[in-house]
Amino acid sequence: MSYFKTMDISASALTAQTLRIETISQNIANSQTTRTETGEAYRRKLVVMEEKKGDFTGELQGGINKVNAGGGVRVARIIEDESPLRRVYEPGHPDADDEGYVFYPNVNPVTEMVNLISATRAYEANVTGINSTKGMAMKALEIGR
Amino acid sequence: MIISNMFRTGLLEKALDASVMRNDAISQNIANVDTPNYKKKVVRFEEVFNELAGIQGQVSNRRHMPIGDGNHSLVQPQLEEANSWGVARLDQNEVDINVEMAEMAKNTIKYNALIQRLNGSLTKLKSVINDGRR
Repeated sequence: MSYFKTMDISASALTAQTLRIETISQNIANSQTTRTETGEAYRRKLVVMEEKKGDFTGELQGGINKVNAGGGVRVARIIEDESPLRRVYEPGHPDADDEGYVFYPNVNPVTEMVNLISATRAYEANVTGINSTKGMAMKALEIGR
Repeated sequence: MIISNMFRTGLLEKALDASVMRNDAISQNIANVDTPNYKKKVVRFEEVFNELAGIQGQVSNRRHMPIGDGNHSLVQPQLEEANSWGVARLDQNEVDINVEMAEMAKNTIKYNALIQRLNGSLTKLKSVINDGRR
Protein backbone atom coordinates (compact mmCIF):
# COMPACT_ATOMS: atom_id res chain seq x y z
CA MET A 1 0.00 0.00 0.00
CA SER A 2 2.36 2.67 -1.16
CA TYR A 3 2.26 5.30 -3.85
CA PHE A 4 5.01 3.66 -5.85
CA LYS A 5 3.16 0.35 -5.92
CA THR A 6 0.08 2.15 -7.19
CA MET A 7 2.15 3.78 -9.92
CA ASP A 8 3.54 0.33 -10.81
CA ILE A 9 -0.03 -0.88 -11.34
CA SER A 10 -0.75 1.95 -13.79
CA ALA A 11 2.67 1.51 -15.40
CA SER A 12 2.02 -2.20 -16.04
CA ALA A 13 -1.12 -1.17 -17.89
CA LEU A 14 0.88 1.32 -19.96
CA THR A 15 3.22 -1.51 -20.93
CA ALA A 16 0.32 -3.82 -21.81
CA GLN A 17 -1.48 -1.18 -23.88
CA THR A 18 1.77 -0.31 -25.68
CA LEU A 19 2.17 -3.97 -26.64
CA ARG A 20 -1.44 -3.96 -27.84
CA ILE A 21 -0.76 -0.88 -30.00
CA GLU A 22 2.38 -2.59 -31.35
CA THR A 23 0.35 -5.67 -32.27
CA ILE A 24 -2.28 -3.54 -34.01
CA SER A 25 0.45 -1.72 -35.94
CA GLN A 26 1.89 -5.09 -36.97
CA ASN A 27 -1.55 -6.16 -38.21
CA ILE A 28 -2.05 -2.99 -40.25
CA ALA A 29 1.50 -3.18 -41.65
CA ASN A 30 0.92 -6.78 -42.76
CA SER A 31 -2.59 -6.33 -44.11
CA GLN A 32 -1.37 -7.32 -47.63
CA THR A 33 1.25 -9.95 -46.68
CA THR A 34 0.42 -13.08 -48.64
CA ARG A 35 3.43 -15.14 -47.58
CA THR A 36 5.01 -15.58 -44.14
CA GLU A 37 7.55 -18.05 -42.74
CA THR A 38 4.91 -20.77 -42.63
CA GLY A 39 4.18 -20.29 -46.34
CA GLU A 40 0.65 -19.17 -45.53
CA ALA A 41 -0.72 -15.63 -45.57
CA TYR A 42 -0.30 -13.46 -42.48
CA ARG A 43 -2.84 -14.02 -39.73
CA ARG A 44 -4.15 -11.22 -37.56
CA LYS A 45 -2.58 -11.19 -34.06
CA LEU A 46 -4.46 -10.52 -30.84
CA VAL A 47 -3.25 -9.85 -27.29
CA VAL A 48 -4.86 -11.63 -24.34
CA MET A 49 -4.65 -9.69 -21.10
CA GLU A 50 -4.88 -11.11 -17.61
CA GLU A 51 -4.86 -9.64 -14.12
CA LYS A 52 -1.47 -9.74 -12.44
CA LYS A 53 -1.52 -10.75 -8.79
CA GLY A 54 0.66 -8.87 -6.31
CA ASP A 55 4.03 -10.03 -5.02
CA PHE A 56 4.35 -12.47 -2.12
CA THR A 57 4.29 -9.83 0.63
CA GLY A 58 1.31 -8.16 -0.96
CA GLU A 59 -0.62 -11.41 -1.31
CA LEU A 60 0.20 -12.35 2.30
CA GLN A 61 -1.05 -9.01 3.57
CA GLY A 62 -4.07 -9.28 1.32
CA GLY A 63 -4.86 -12.69 2.79
CA ILE A 64 -4.57 -11.41 6.35
CA ASN A 65 -6.37 -8.08 6.31
CA LYS A 66 -7.68 -7.65 2.78
CA VAL A 67 -5.66 -4.62 1.75
CA ASN A 68 -4.10 -5.79 -1.49
CA ALA A 69 -5.54 -4.56 -4.77
CA GLY A 70 -3.15 -6.62 -6.90
CA GLY A 71 -0.19 -6.02 -9.16
CA GLY A 72 -1.78 -4.56 -12.28
CA VAL A 73 -2.21 -6.25 -15.64
CA ARG A 74 -0.07 -8.24 -18.04
CA VAL A 75 -0.30 -9.69 -21.49
CA ALA A 76 -0.74 -13.42 -20.99
CA ARG A 77 -0.06 -14.32 -24.62
CA ILE A 78 -0.41 -13.19 -28.20
CA ILE A 79 -2.68 -15.44 -30.22
CA GLU A 80 -3.46 -15.64 -33.90
CA ASP A 81 -6.97 -15.00 -35.17
CA GLU A 82 -8.16 -18.29 -36.72
CA SER A 83 -10.96 -16.75 -38.75
CA PRO A 84 -10.85 -17.58 -42.51
CA LEU A 85 -8.46 -15.70 -44.77
CA ARG A 86 -9.70 -13.47 -47.56
CA ARG A 87 -9.73 -15.28 -50.95
CA VAL A 88 -9.11 -13.13 -54.03
CA TYR A 89 -8.93 -14.22 -57.69
CA GLU A 90 -5.51 -13.10 -58.99
CA PRO A 91 -4.07 -15.69 -61.39
CA GLY A 92 -0.92 -13.65 -62.11
CA HIS A 93 0.12 -13.47 -58.45
CA PRO A 94 3.16 -15.61 -57.52
CA ASP A 95 1.31 -16.89 -54.38
CA ALA A 96 -1.80 -17.91 -56.31
CA ASP A 97 -2.97 -21.53 -55.92
CA ASP A 98 -3.81 -23.91 -58.80
CA GLU A 99 -7.23 -22.30 -59.31
CA GLY A 100 -5.73 -18.81 -59.43
CA TYR A 101 -6.86 -17.70 -55.98
CA VAL A 102 -4.61 -15.79 -53.55
CA PHE A 103 -5.21 -15.85 -49.79
CA TYR A 104 -4.97 -12.43 -48.20
CA PRO A 105 -4.67 -11.81 -44.41
CA ASN A 106 -7.83 -11.72 -42.27
CA VAL A 107 -7.02 -8.15 -41.25
CA ASN A 108 -9.86 -5.64 -41.36
CA PRO A 109 -8.40 -2.10 -41.30
CA VAL A 110 -11.57 -0.64 -39.76
CA THR A 111 -11.47 -3.09 -36.84
CA GLU A 112 -7.79 -2.36 -36.33
CA MET A 113 -8.33 1.41 -36.29
CA VAL A 114 -11.17 1.09 -33.77
CA ASN A 115 -8.98 -1.11 -31.55
CA LEU A 116 -6.17 1.41 -31.92
CA ILE A 117 -8.39 4.22 -30.64
CA SER A 118 -9.58 2.01 -27.76
CA ALA A 119 -5.98 1.19 -26.80
CA THR A 120 -4.94 4.85 -26.98
CA ARG A 121 -7.82 5.87 -24.72
CA ALA A 122 -6.96 3.15 -22.21
CA TYR A 123 -3.34 4.35 -22.26
CA GLU A 124 -4.45 7.93 -21.59
CA ALA A 125 -6.69 6.82 -18.73
CA ASN A 126 -3.72 5.15 -17.06
CA VAL A 127 -1.53 8.23 -17.57
CA THR A 128 -4.25 10.20 -15.76
CA GLY A 129 -4.10 7.58 -13.01
CA ILE A 130 -0.34 8.03 -12.60
CA ASN A 131 -0.70 11.81 -12.51
CA SER A 132 -3.44 11.55 -9.91
CA THR A 133 -1.30 9.30 -7.71
CA LYS A 134 1.65 11.62 -8.17
CA GLY A 135 -0.50 14.57 -7.09
CA MET A 136 -1.52 12.71 -3.94
CA ALA A 137 2.09 11.81 -3.12
CA MET A 138 3.19 15.40 -3.58
CA LYS A 139 0.30 16.59 -1.41
CA ALA A 140 1.37 14.18 1.33
CA LEU A 141 4.71 15.98 1.45
CA GLU A 142 2.81 19.07 2.57
CA ILE A 143 1.61 17.48 5.81
CA GLY A 144 2.84 19.58 8.71
CA ARG A 145 4.34 22.31 6.57
CA MET B 1 0.21 9.20 20.00
CA ILE B 2 -0.29 12.26 22.19
CA ILE B 3 -0.81 14.35 19.09
CA SER B 4 -3.29 11.83 17.74
CA ASN B 5 -5.27 11.86 21.00
CA MET B 6 -5.10 15.58 21.68
CA PHE B 7 -6.01 16.77 18.25
CA ARG B 8 -8.12 13.88 17.02
CA THR B 9 -5.91 13.26 14.02
CA GLY B 10 -6.18 9.48 14.39
CA LEU B 11 -9.38 9.36 12.41
CA LEU B 12 -7.93 11.64 9.73
CA GLU B 13 -4.98 9.29 9.38
CA LYS B 14 -7.34 6.33 8.99
CA ALA B 15 -9.30 8.16 6.33
CA LEU B 16 -6.07 9.02 4.52
CA ASP B 17 -5.10 5.33 4.60
CA ALA B 18 -8.48 4.44 3.13
CA SER B 19 -8.06 7.08 0.45
CA VAL B 20 -4.64 5.76 -0.57
CA MET B 21 -6.00 2.22 -0.67
CA ARG B 22 -8.94 3.36 -2.79
CA ASN B 23 -6.52 5.02 -5.21
CA ASP B 24 -4.73 1.67 -5.43
CA ALA B 25 -7.97 -0.19 -6.18
CA ILE B 26 -9.10 2.34 -8.81
CA SER B 27 -5.68 2.15 -10.50
CA GLN B 28 -6.00 -1.62 -10.61
CA ASN B 29 -9.49 -1.32 -12.12
CA ILE B 30 -8.33 1.13 -14.80
CA ALA B 31 -5.29 -1.05 -15.57
CA ASN B 32 -7.57 -4.05 -16.13
CA VAL B 33 -10.15 -2.28 -18.28
CA ASP B 34 -9.44 -4.75 -21.13
CA THR B 35 -8.96 -7.91 -19.07
CA PRO B 36 -11.65 -10.54 -19.69
CA ASN B 37 -13.51 -11.82 -16.59
CA TYR B 38 -11.94 -9.16 -14.38
CA LYS B 39 -13.83 -8.44 -11.16
CA LYS B 40 -14.00 -4.79 -10.15
CA LYS B 41 -12.46 -3.91 -6.76
CA VAL B 42 -13.87 -1.41 -4.29
CA VAL B 43 -12.77 -0.10 -0.90
CA ARG B 44 -15.36 0.12 1.86
CA PHE B 45 -14.52 2.58 4.60
CA GLU B 46 -17.35 5.04 5.23
CA GLU B 47 -19.94 2.26 5.58
CA VAL B 48 -17.70 0.25 7.89
CA PHE B 49 -17.08 3.37 9.92
CA ASN B 50 -20.78 4.14 10.27
CA GLU B 51 -21.55 0.56 11.25
CA LEU B 52 -18.88 0.46 13.95
CA ALA B 53 -18.84 4.00 15.25
CA GLY B 54 -22.59 4.63 15.43
CA ILE B 55 -23.58 7.57 17.59
CA GLN B 56 -21.36 9.05 20.24
CA GLY B 57 -22.42 11.21 23.18
CA GLN B 58 -20.33 14.14 24.33
CA VAL B 59 -18.85 13.83 27.82
CA SER B 60 -18.52 17.24 29.46
CA ASN B 61 -18.17 15.89 33.01
CA ARG B 62 -16.01 13.10 34.34
CA ARG B 63 -19.03 11.41 35.94
CA HIS B 64 -21.05 11.34 32.74
CA MET B 65 -21.91 7.97 31.37
CA PRO B 66 -20.20 7.58 28.00
CA ILE B 67 -22.41 6.82 25.01
CA GLY B 68 -20.49 4.95 22.34
CA ASP B 69 -16.86 4.24 23.03
CA GLY B 70 -15.54 6.72 20.46
CA ASN B 71 -12.82 4.26 19.67
CA HIS B 72 -12.14 4.34 15.94
CA SER B 73 -9.07 2.13 16.09
CA LEU B 74 -11.18 -0.87 15.12
CA VAL B 75 -12.30 0.74 11.88
CA GLN B 76 -10.21 -0.55 8.99
CA PRO B 77 -10.78 0.13 5.32
CA GLN B 78 -11.73 -3.09 3.53
CA LEU B 79 -10.92 -4.08 0.01
CA GLU B 80 -13.63 -6.14 -1.65
CA GLU B 81 -14.75 -7.33 -5.02
CA ALA B 82 -17.79 -5.36 -6.09
CA ASN B 83 -21.03 -7.30 -6.34
CA SER B 84 -22.51 -6.04 -9.55
CA TRP B 85 -26.03 -6.78 -10.65
CA GLY B 86 -25.20 -8.27 -13.99
CA VAL B 87 -22.45 -7.46 -16.41
CA ALA B 88 -23.15 -5.45 -19.53
CA ARG B 89 -20.02 -6.41 -21.43
CA LEU B 90 -19.52 -9.53 -23.49
CA ASP B 91 -16.07 -10.27 -22.03
CA GLN B 92 -17.58 -10.37 -18.49
CA ASN B 93 -15.42 -7.43 -17.41
CA GLU B 94 -17.13 -5.27 -14.80
CA VAL B 95 -15.11 -2.07 -15.16
CA ASP B 96 -16.79 1.07 -16.49
CA ILE B 97 -13.95 3.46 -17.34
CA ASN B 98 -16.14 6.57 -16.92
CA VAL B 99 -17.15 5.55 -13.40
CA GLU B 100 -13.53 4.80 -12.49
CA MET B 101 -12.22 8.15 -13.76
CA ALA B 102 -14.93 9.98 -11.82
CA GLU B 103 -14.14 7.95 -8.69
CA MET B 104 -10.45 8.76 -9.06
CA ALA B 105 -11.15 12.51 -9.36
CA LYS B 106 -13.44 12.36 -6.31
CA ASN B 107 -10.91 10.40 -4.31
CA THR B 108 -8.10 12.87 -5.06
CA ILE B 109 -10.23 15.82 -3.96
CA LYS B 110 -11.22 13.98 -0.78
CA TYR B 111 -7.58 13.19 -0.09
CA ASN B 112 -6.56 16.83 -0.55
CA ALA B 113 -9.34 17.90 1.80
CA LEU B 114 -8.13 15.44 4.44
CA ILE B 115 -4.55 16.71 4.12
CA GLN B 116 -5.85 20.24 4.58
CA ARG B 117 -7.70 19.28 7.79
CA LEU B 118 -4.65 17.45 9.10
CA ASN B 119 -2.53 20.52 8.44
CA GLY B 120 -5.16 22.61 10.23
CA SER B 121 -4.83 20.41 13.33
CA LEU B 122 -1.04 20.59 13.20
CA THR B 123 -1.18 24.38 12.85
CA LYS B 124 -3.26 24.47 16.03
CA LEU B 125 -0.67 22.32 17.76
CA LYS B 126 2.11 24.63 16.60
CA SER B 127 0.17 27.59 17.94
CA VAL B 128 -0.04 25.87 21.34
CA ILE B 129 3.68 25.06 21.33
CA ASN B 130 4.53 28.65 20.47
CA ASP B 131 2.38 29.86 23.35
CA GLY B 132 -0.12 31.38 20.92
CA ARG B 133 2.37 33.93 19.66
CA ARG B 134 2.29 32.97 16.02
